[in-house]
Amino acid sequence: MASKNNSIADSYYLNDAFYDRLMALNESWKMEAPAISPITLEDKQACESLIFTEARLADDLRLEQWLDCYSDQCVYWIPSSYPVVDPRQEITLEFHDKRRLQDRVARIRTGVAYSMVPVIRTRHVLGNIEYRQGVDKEVRARASFIIDALFDGKHRILSGWIGYSLVSEQNEWKIAVKQINLIDADCLQENNTFFL
Amino acid sequence: MASDFDDLVQEGRVHRTVYTDEAIFSREQQKVFGETWVYLAHASEITEPNSFVARKMGLRSVIVTRDKEHKVHVLLNRCTHRGATVCREKKGDKTPFFTCPYHGWTFKNTGECAAIPHQDAYGEGFKKSSFNLKQIPYVSEYRGFILATLNPEKGKKGIKDHLRSAAGRIDEWIDHNGGDHKAIRISGAQQYTVHANWKCLYDNAGDGYHPEFSHQSLLQMTQQRYGAGMDLDYFAGGIDSTPMYSQDLGNGHTFLDQRPCMYEASAFDRQRPQPGREAIVEQLTKEVGEDKAREYFEMATGAGMNLNIFPNLLFIGNQLQVITPLSVGLSDMTWYSTSIDNVPAAVNTLRLRTQEDFTAFGEPDDTANFEACFKGMHEREIDWIDISRHLHTGVDKTDDNGIVTSVISSDIHMRAYYAEWKKLMQSNDESSLG
Ligand code: FES
Ligand SMILES: [Fe+2]
Repeated sequence: MASKNNSIADSYYLNDAFYDRLMALNESWKMEAPAISPITLEDKQACESLIFTEARLADDLRLEQWLDCYSDQCVYWIPSSYPVVDPRQEITLEFHDKRRLQDRVARIRTGVAYSMVPVIRTRHVLGNIEYRQGVDKEVRARASFIIDALFDGKHRILSGWIGYSLVSEQNEWKIAVKQINLIDADCLQENNTFFL
Repeated sequence: MASDFDDLVQEGRVHRTVYTDEAIFSREQQKVFGETWVYLAHASEITEPNSFVARKMGLRSVIVTRDKEHKVHVLLNRCTHRGATVCREKKGDKTPFFTCPYHGWTFKNTGECAAIPHQDAYGEGFKKSSFNLKQIPYVSEYRGFILATLNPEKGKKGIKDHLRSAAGRIDEWIDHNGGDHKAIRISGAQQYTVHANWKCLYDNAGDGYHPEFSHQSLLQMTQQRYGAGMDLDYFAGGIDSTPMYSQDLGNGHTFLDQRPCMYEASAFDRQRPQPGREAIVEQLTKEVGEDKAREYFEMATGAGMNLNIFPNLLFIGNQLQVITPLSVGLSDMTWYSTSIDNVPAAVNTLRLRTQEDFTAFGEPDDTANFEACFKGMHEREIDWIDISRHLHTGVDKTDDNGIVTSVISSDIHMRAYYAEWKKLMQSNDESSLG
């Protein structure tokens, strides 16, 4: 367990400029070529590997390593509205900075998070991934997802699409933004206390 | 039926079938979710003339409309022709009329039947007005909160008579949120299903006994990462010797006051850090100066009140939780978020990030326990649900207004609402739709 995961991240970075960036990203998901430009094969391989790794680590509950997939200046965001509304205007289902992601992991690790007892098993299936060049070295990707979640012997399917903003930090690709758009974002949700 | 309820709800215990029985559930739809005041919407959701929201009043699908004269109506969302759902949107504006998609019958947002295609085929004696949308006859608003009832007696006495001293507590909640109820608006919702009878959720609304145990994951994580003196840690240990208290406010309404501990010093400083906290603190302090910023920070932190308006409206922190039964074993638990007009934008950002905290760290564990209780209630060998905590310890004090105050871990909340529940379930009032 890397010690970095236990040290508490600060949250100066999540300012209005960051929120503006989130909303610009949200707009950019709608764009088609030629407004978007392709990325290099090398970047594509690296980013695809990050996207699959992050999903697998969440499924395998290797949550400390999972946290390492994220930049220290990240946002993990599940809107509660469809279409998406600015998270400064309306409540989300979840909106976490790095620190709150660490809190979430630490809560599960106490062993007394009863919403995860017995633990919810998940398996992500990601597909239809499209990559595009972002600002500077940023890579943006969007993917469709299906998650099978098993709790107390019962299966449940979640689906939707995810928008990623990926950045290279000291030659390692990290997730700066993961925007999880459930197809039923504005409908009744079940116990989703695992990582989507 | 009346004596049955005396058997089912006894002093200090409730029979499990109160939660699991279909016939009781069905009667609740009339007696509890019909014949007492039921919360439906907040005025900020339908500010404009000709706006509406679709809601549930118990199992009834209703449309809460504001007509062009600003009057609020609660219409049954059931076409008077053959039963189709007239309005299929969750909300909308600029909607003076609703047209049923099936045969095109059209209704005004006052409920009046406005047009029936090819009406002449119904013959000469036909009266369009006998096909108006049915409506809930009594609709009332208390400082932004819109409630309705089918019950003429309660309806005529009005909402203030029903709320009694709970109204004063609503005022305190509004004061925490800036004092101007017209500036408070709903800013989205988090909606969840809970696989349990609705009362399993309601039981918890005034349960000061459970946090130390149910919310261990939150308490331990917070202690580990942020040290002592944070968030709800005043619930760990001898809670009944703290100055927190719980109250029976009458008519089934109850109150649990965390403020004596939570606001003993700065509640904002106790708060687990919200996403973007540092950025917002910096920005607001620069914008409005330290003193005013401090005021906003405390306002962004939860009100420290658990105020429960029986049967379905819970004030929790700065949020409103609304409980709606979907079936005997399935409930809708919706958390409406609130924002304030006329404050700097960053205050509302901070409020939203604060309001997302408990639904991520606390409520999931609560829900898991509600569902576990409901499962246990199906065990035939044990009949009783215990609600006797502090029934015999002599700690309760009654004041001149009839408000009973107890210690924080008391089951007074359950005893108070069950007394009202029983009264409603036993009543023979006849109510009908207007
Ligand atoms: S059912 Fe509505 S018009 Fe026929
Ligand atoms: Fe709780």
